[in-house]
Amino acid sequence: MSTSSPHALTAHWKKFLAVGVVALAVVWWFAFAGVQHHDNRQALSVLVGALFWAAVLIGMLMLTMITRVFDAGWAPLIRRNWELLIAGLPVVILVGIVPLAFLPDFRHAVWYWTDPAHILPGGHEVGHDPILVAKSWFLNEKFFLVRIALYVGVFGLLAALLRRWSFAQDTDRTAGHTHRLHAVSAVGIPLGAVTLTMLAFDCLMALSYHWFSTMYGVWFFALSIRLALAVTVILTYKLSHGGWLDGLLNQAHRHVLGCLMLAFTVFWAYISFSQYFLIYTANIPEETFWYNIREFDAATGLKNEWWGVSMYLIFGFFLLPFLSLLFYRTKIVAGRLLAVAWVILVGGIVDLWFNAIPRQVYDKSAPEGFVVTPFLTSSLFLDLLAIVGFGGVVFALFLRGASRQETIPVHDPRILESINYHE
Amino acid sequence: MNERNERIHGVACTFRKVSDVFHAAEKVRDAGWKNWDVHTPFPIHGMDQAMGLPRSPVPRLTLLGGVTGFITGCLLTWYMNSYDYPLIVGGKPYWSVIFPFPVLYECTILFAAFGTFFGQFIFNRLPRHNHPLFDLPNFARVSDDTFMIVLEARDPRFHLDESRNFLQSLGGQEITVIRD
Repeated sequence: MSTSSPHALTAHWKKFLAVGVVALAVVWWFAFAGVQHHDNRQALSVLVGALFWAAVLIGMLMLTMITRVFDAGWAPLIRRNWELLIAGLPVVILVGIVPLAFLPDFRHAVWYWTDPAHILPGGHEVGHDPILVAKSWFLNEKFFLVRIALYVGVFGLLAALLRRWSFAQDTDRTAGHTHRLHAVSAVGIPLGAVTLTMLAFDCLMALSYHWFSTMYGVWFFALSIRLALAVTVILTYKLSHGGWLDGLLNQAHRHVLGCLMLAFTVFWAYISFSQYFLIYTANIPEETFWYNIREFDAATGLKNEWWGVSMYLIFGFFLLPFLSLLFYRTKIVAGRLLAVAWVILVGGIVDLWFNAIPRQVYDKSAPEGFVVTPFLTSSLFLDLLAIVGFGGVVFALFLRGASRQETIPVHDPRILESINYHE
Repeated sequence: MNERNERIHGVACTFRKVSDVFHAAEKVRDAGWKNWDVHTPFPIHGMDQAMGLPRSPVPRLTLLGGVTGFITGCLLTWYMNSYDYPLIVGGKPYWSVIFPFPVLYECTILFAAFGTFFGQFIFNRLPRHNHPLFDLPNFARVSDDTFMIVLEARDPRFHLDESRNFLQSLGGQEITVIRD
């Protein structure tokens, strides 16, 4: 145990902010330069970085509300860290996704359906695409921008309410806040579910607007909760070694987080496989092309780089965490749970790459009239830098919040139950 | 009849308070007993550790059942669709891991559930129609307001008089010898 106070960590918030701002400045500069040269890959780095942390924080927002609604006795000790973190959710969308959507150059580069002059595979322009015309009641720029603004508003409002009354309870010791938060969460869960579904449709599915999957929102929810739990395990591990959870986090807390990680690993696999399976079975070209470009080269039929990525998702993002988490000891031994959390974190980034990056780019000289965005490019480092950048901002806000609020919800009616939680 | 009554099942004693039975259980555990049990009207958290009980072995049979189910599902779909009556459905291969996957995981879940359900019966030694403890006149009270510790005769540490004294030293009341 370190001799310094458990809150000594919070003094570092400015360093986190500095790292975040510098990293984001570099990423935005590359994105800007890329867009000037009609290369959208760097702009997608901003999207991947923002969506990674949006997913983490949306997962935490949902977990906060779900544990409120179910009166989870184990939760208050861990939930306070979620409440401190979700302050970053509207900020991440505001700093990452809003500029991409509202600045026309970036919007056209990332969401090519907004650019009528964009050439589709086959040589037609987006503006004359009957599929886009049919979808234009939803996919039109005005409504799109309204929706993006709504994501900031809805998530910002939910996060603000959940934080405000929980923090208020620390000082006025009123049990009524718990009832109020229960009610907010009961309304917030369906509202959050619709909002995160629309966010996934707009920010990921619409990157390739010919394609559609009604399970996409559920997939994004499953990914969000998995990433949120992985970050929670890593963060609580760190906080229990010299932070404010030192001596408080016990085996049963790890066990419950491990069980949830196992459940949502299975759920993610179930949803991801079902999406693939339905498209595979129905075998309709409007749907299958999305998976085809992620498996093989259209002209030669040989497997491309994305096939390796999809195999990694099956074995590295599902099978490895699934088989490890089946064992009781993986869920209670701190080091093992931490290792699985890192595996899930890395897998989540790979899953975002798999969903966000590949697209058909018009190329007259290619045999099929298009080429697929490659996986292995130097921009992967820019993606990671974007994740570091947004992460720096998120954790700066977290540590700043932790220096101003109680880091343990001392007057939560269930705090003793949470601290003494046992299997 | 008389001869049967000579066989001793064990020695039982009762407690009136949770903390008493809890600490008595810890002492029985520390004395190295293996064949003994605690009976309580409700679950007492931490009793597993106080008794030194290991984790249940049932999950091993669950895993075994799951693996068996997955393999069964593979063989089932391969035999029917690819070997016994090869049939192309929807342009898919005779057999691959993709199209029958719902069958594979449903079989996995079904057999894992069988493993859990029957494994529980095996490790709990069920079904069992009677138990010597049921002859104890005050045994019904352990489902009401009494806690009971039973030391069984099949434990190598068991010695009638010493075990009786041991229970007495733990603070147990109504020390009774149970006959088979």
